[in-house]
Amino acid sequence: MSGRARVKARGIARSPSATEVGRTQASPLPTSVDLSNNEASSSNGFLGTSRISTNDKYGISSGDAGSTSMERGVKNKQDFMDLSICTREKLAHVRDCKTGSSGIPVKLVTNLFNLDFPQDWQLYQYHVTYVPDLASRRLRIALLYSHSELSNKAKAFDGAILFLSQKLEEKITELSSETQRGETIKMTITLKRELPSSSPVCIQVFNIIFRKLSLWPGFAISVSYFESKLLFSADVSYKVLRNETVLEFMTALCRRTGLTCFTQTCEKQLIGLIVLTRYNNRTYSIDDIDWSVKPTHTFQKRDGTEITYVDYYKQQYDITVSDLNQPMLVSLLKRKRNDNSEARLAHLIPELCFLTGLTDQATSDFQLMKAVAEKTRLPPSGRQQRLARLVDNIQRNTNARFELETWGLHFGSQISLTGRVVPSEKILMQDHICQPVSAADWSKDVRTCKILNARSLNTWLILCSDRTEYVAESFLNCLRRVAGSMGFNVDYPKIIKVQENPAAFVRAVQQYVDPDVQLVMCILPSNQKTYYDSIKKYLSSDCPVPSQCVLARTLNKQGMMMSIATKIAMQMTCKLGGELWAVEIPLKSLMVVGIDVCKDALSKDVMVVGCVASVNPGITRWFSRCILQRTMTDVADCLKVFMTGALNKWYKYNHDLPARIIVYRAGVGDGQLKTLVDYEVPQLLSSVAESSSNTSSRLSVIVVRKKCMPRFFTEMNRTVQNPPIGTVVDSEATRNEWYDFYLISQVACRGTVSPTYYNVIYDDNGLKPDHMQRLTFKLCHLYYNWPGIVSVPAPCQYAHKLTFLVAQSIHKEPSLELANHLFYL
Amino acid sequence: MKINQEEREKTSRKCSSVVDGNFEEVPRETAIQFKPPLYRQRYQFVKNLVDQHEPKKVADLGCGDTSLLRLLKVNPCIELLVGVDINEDKLRWRGDSLAPFMGDFLKPRDLNLTIILYHGSVVERDSRLLGFDLITCIELIEHLDSGDLARFPEVVFGYLSPSMIVISTPNSEFNPLFPSVTLRDSDHKFEWTRMEFQTWALYVANRYDYSVEFTGVGEPPAGAENVGYCTQIGIFQKNGGRATEACVSEQHDQHVYKAVFTTSYPSLQQERFFKLVLVNEVSQQVESLRVSHLPRRKEQDGEQGDKPKDIGGSKAPVPCFGPVFTEVEKAKIENSPKPFCVGDKFFVPLQRLLAYPRLNRLCANEEMMRSVIADSIPLSSDGSAVVTDLCNYFDEQFEF
Repeated sequence: MSGRARVKARGIARSPSATEVGRTQASPLPTSVDLSNNEASSSNGFLGTSRISTNDKYGISSGDAGSTSMERGVKNKQDFMDLSICTREKLAHVRDCKTGSSGIPVKLVTNLFNLDFPQDWQLYQYHVTYVPDLASRRLRIALLYSHSELSNKAKAFDGAILFLSQKLEEKITELSSETQRGETIKMTITLKRELPSSSPVCIQVFNIIFRKLSLWPGFAISVSYFESKLLFSADVSYKVLRNETVLEFMTALCRRTGLTCFTQTCEKQLIGLIVLTRYNNRTYSIDDIDWSVKPTHTFQKRDGTEITYVDYYKQQYDITVSDLNQPMLVSLLKRKRNDNSEARLAHLIPELCFLTGLTDQATSDFQLMKAVAEKTRLPPSGRQQRLARLVDNIQRNTNARFELETWGLHFGSQISLTGRVVPSEKILMQDHICQPVSAADWSKDVRTCKILNARSLNTWLILCSDRTEYVAESFLNCLRRVAGSMGFNVDYPKIIKVQENPAAFVRAVQQYVDPDVQLVMCILPSNQKTYYDSIKKYLSSDCPVPSQCVLARTLNKQGMMMSIATKIAMQMTCKLGGELWAVEIPLKSLMVVGIDVCKDALSKDVMVVGCVASVNPGITRWFSRCILQRTMTDVADCLKVFMTGALNKWYKYNHDLPARIIVYRAGVGDGQLKTLVDYEVPQLLSSVAESSSNTSSRLSVIVVRKKCMPRFFTEMNRTVQNPPIGTVVDSEATRNEWYDFYLISQVACRGTVSPTYYNVIYDDNGLKPDHMQRLTFKLCHLYYNWPGIVSVPAPCQYAHKLTFLVAQSIHKEPSLELANHLFYL
Repeated sequence: MKINQEEREKTSRKCSSVVDGNFEEVPRETAIQFKPPLYRQRYQFVKNLVDQHEPKKVADLGCGDTSLLRLLKVNPCIELLVGVDINEDKLRWRGDSLAPFMGDFLKPRDLNLTIILYHGSVVERDSRLLGFDLITCIELIEHLDSGDLARFPEVVFGYLSPSMIVISTPNSEFNPLFPSVTLRDSDHKFEWTRMEFQTWALYVANRYDYSVEFTGVGEPPAGAENVGYCTQIGIFQKNGGRATEACVSEQHDQHVYKAVFTTSYPSLQQERFFKLVLVNEVSQQVESLRVSHLPRRKEQDGEQGDKPKDIGGSKAPVPCFGPVFTEVEKAKIENSPKPFCVGDKFFVPLQRLLAYPRLNRLCANEEMMRSVIADSIPLSSDGSAVVTDLCNYFDEQFEF
């Protein structure tokens, strides 16, 4: 198959990725917003998915900045899809008021700005036709723009749809222009609709207007409708660019692999990556590599002439391609308009493409990541300074101001709002209730306390090499001492010496593990991934026994032995089914569930779904399961399988079903909300209903997002700082159509803390917003891998840890025999 | 109402390139179509001229949407590129597109480049445009009214007096071949025949001591060869060569134009970028030498063999790439000190690194290389070699 053909085949066969799956399965989705059949879709929100694809030809664009705004339009589009899902109106208890009231009010500054415009502001949408018809978009635009009726009006036009902020005198305006060749072209401008500022189309036009100003290098900006008004948000953004061309990468790879498996490896490593071309500063994704095309081959230029790639780059950009044997990267170009033409391919020269993003190697380099973090993590004060500079830029730039003014817009003030800090939580230990000094880390506060419940560890193995035997022994002594003080009895294990290679470790495990063995500890001689992966794979699925891998290097750290032993002892307790601590849960029969989804590291079309449910009222014991799936609807189906299993477990332990279930769903991409509401919630509901013959449990489903646009700062001692742990924001920066709130449940030592965003999409528990917020906050205290608060509720964090282990190391479903233990910590 | 001439030419671009992804619709057939479009032919003409004469300082008067500047900025010989136009808005909006790309920071130019856009009229004198090697006036003079046209030679030829001037303007003899026979653009004050243009040009050249040659772009169609090029071009060269620096400095500073946009490009002349490039090149060369040392060592240890020898899936031709050296370069590399191992450390002598053409191009001698990379790359105790661990974690991480 030729490279070209392969791309096409891939393009079709590729199953939906996480970001794409939200688009419903049956209907093809347009790449641009439908504006042509607005009468039909205006009544029920703006997105009539099924109707869109057939007859629309043009998306919004802004004059000559066509292609870029178009691409961005696609991204926005997905957000808008989510916005049209109005979940709050179905939730009677929060229809009137979704804000809480408990806690101490705190004044917060945001990265949101008012956008002021007259109260009666409207956007007028026109349709423009040409007689005789003109195919060239550029010519259509040029003809229309040169007309005096339109030349001094604020406008956005894509060749068919025209947006104006001022109404034309007539509903239908007829204009005529003469082309260079003396041909008279009649243009008919017909008013299609008048849009209020809150309309999604309007918001999209606003986004285009603002981006066209391009005043914000280094900022991610967007305009969207928040609680009661349109706001502009800006956040400092970074792009990581590698000082390595694709050719350099390929050459290095070739040297490592040798020629035999080079092409395959190279495709595996490169396809899907984003590259930036040196000569025109554009980004492309690599969809294929065409090994048969060389830079000395020719292609056809726009004017029909043939030219070699080498000559083209020399002529056009004065770049000399030095390696004439390199293959070509193939990128499928996004279709600008939704016509049915064949997707176009671009051939890119590896030597002229830079790789973007960090390599796996870089991300696992702690020192490097620390350096990156130091560069990219701005403290709140730095962020505020940058925002101030941005506002200054906008206000000083006469062009920008003029452009906005012609649209009737005024860039307003930075938004301040009032949040609340909910009360801090007490940590319940076995015989002690502890009020931590800081929720960020209470390890010191509970050092002398006994953990809630531990199972005795009697039969277990330590695998180590000759070289690490000594350190293993001294660690063991330390471990037994700290475990004893925690109330965790650790007997002396059987120590097995193995050779220093991954296969030897697995062989020893196979040889020595019998049904009585409760846990296997491996002291790994190096952090080579194969050691960890092969041991975890074997002990998680082939022969399910809890395992604990420790790097020999970690144990060699002087003066750290006690704290390392404490941490490992805690993990071991959890892996055996023990419980470390609890918080007070006011609801008596509540099951909390965490769900996370990620892609498998090896086969990107496989989705790893991790589900974790609490199985006791104290929320200290968990049922965990991980399922591999191919599509989003399958994800919904497997949730049903999981819920049924979790409810059976609950019933087994509590002899009844939980009165309430709260599901925290993470791993949701833009545009996927509809799938969640239409598929996942019904599946969850039906599994709950089917488990019980009489009254079924009440269910809430909350979407958890760690990435969101708003940032909040408090002003203290004349500088801005991160808000305190437990800060809740449920007004102004939230969305009117959703039951949503922000919660800050983490500390950022460096940089600006990101709030976690919660959107309650289904709720028949009817808890007051106050209670929902506080319960969520409590759950952030229950992640046993860290004696402190975490950024998401513990079930989500567990689900995340589980999916990570499976996606990175195991690549298959772990055995159900381990489901009652937090074996993946 | 007419649309601007250039706009029209741009609409009639054909599209079938697979390189840039910058596609346009296929235009309607026009009576006369230039391939490539005429405005591109004009720009290409200037670019070829720049390639040929390698001017350091170039100004484009009436730069409009700065398309020509964007084409010229990639030229390695240019160190100062200036655009002047009376339409300030256009300059402001287009400025950003002349700023350096991210790639320009990673692969910097050899020489510094500054780009400045001025708002101003070509018939006003501004001393910042003195001493240029090339000034271009592409499709400019036909927009000047008679008063301005009279003042134009005095300012450009007399005052600015660059080594070379290129002036292009429509050839009205070509016009009858177009469907409409009026002026090509509503803003044109006149369109000249070849005779009219050449008469004017020769007069101006003579007066300000330039010599002039005539040519053009946009070949007439077969059968109408007698009308000449669609765009006529005059290339003026100053007799007696370049303007002397002394004469430039004697002039009074006269700043009439308003600088709207200024940007300067990273280059190897700037220490921080030179260091960035050198450190990067050295690291890559050392890494490539280190990796090629690995398998050989493994063979010696007899550990080779557990690698899968699977070639089944790949039908593609065996790729071979990486730098190709000439025989002279090969010999130079072969004769330089070889990399070596001591324990688990790997050493690459700086002399070896200097033998590779890419590094040799950057760095003349060992001392210079040492001083630039010393605080970024570990060196052996005597400073004569780069030192690194022979094996690292990721050699084994790379699982295939």
